[in-house]
Amino acid sequence: MPPKKRIFPRQKVCRFCADKSLVIDYKEVRTLRNFVTERGKIIPSRIYGNCAKHQRKLTDAIKKARQIALMPYTGPTYL
Amino acid sequence: MRRYETIFIVRPNIAEDEIDAVINKTSSIIEGDGGIIIRIDKWGLKKLAYLIKKESQGYYVYLDYAGVPASVSEIERIFRIDDKVLKYLTIKLADSCDPEAIKEELASAEAAQTLAEEEAASPAETTETTTEDELKEDASPSETAAISAEDEAKGEEEIPTEEKQAD
Repeated sequence: MPPKKRIFPRQKVCRFCADKSLVIDYKEVRTLRNFVTERGKIIPSRIYGNCAKHQRKLTDAIKKARQIALMPYTGPTYL
Repeated sequence: MRRYETIFIVRPNIAEDEIDAVINKTSSIIEGDGGIIIRIDKWGLKKLAYLIKKESQGYYVYLDYAGVPASVSEIERIFRIDDKVLKYLTIKLADSCDPEAIKEELASAEAAQTLAEEEAASPAETTETTTEDELKEDASPSETAAISAEDEAKGEEEIPTEEKQAD
């Protein structure tokens, strides 16, 4: 018998729903930085448990920030 | 009347008065079409996230205004022609806005600003956007303290997320 898969039921709460003071704005790069990888890719909502509405706003904001060169399309590669 | 915000990036090696000339030109276009300038912010030299026209730095200028769509297309046409402007981005904030209300708001903000100046910039006046800017420029200790506290909060936030990733 294969070893039983351990499941960790963990309630992930959308950070933006929990903290109403946290606004998603494409000009506030410091907030957006938390939701991209080092290479600048947008982290999927299943990792942080953002709700669909806020994840949508987040991706829109990140894409706007990329357009005006506040955030990278691809991060520094170091390779 | 619609509410827009425009950010444009000017080449870093351009003199300050030439940047002012670009700003004046755009604001005259907006006001020529009957729009209202709400805010002009010079963010100053910033490092670009990627090279634009072989420049790694750029001078950011932020404009918040109410205007008509025709003035936006005119501004963007001029930005495209202008060699000094590296890139621009216009975002529509609201489909309709009341010019009278904005004028009143601006007047009250201005009044608050003068009041704050008279009272030597007390921290209680930070509700108004314009006064807030002034405090930032002054770099009052309370403001910087708030920023550092924010930084700490960010640092704490990052820890639980890493844990989640590890799982």
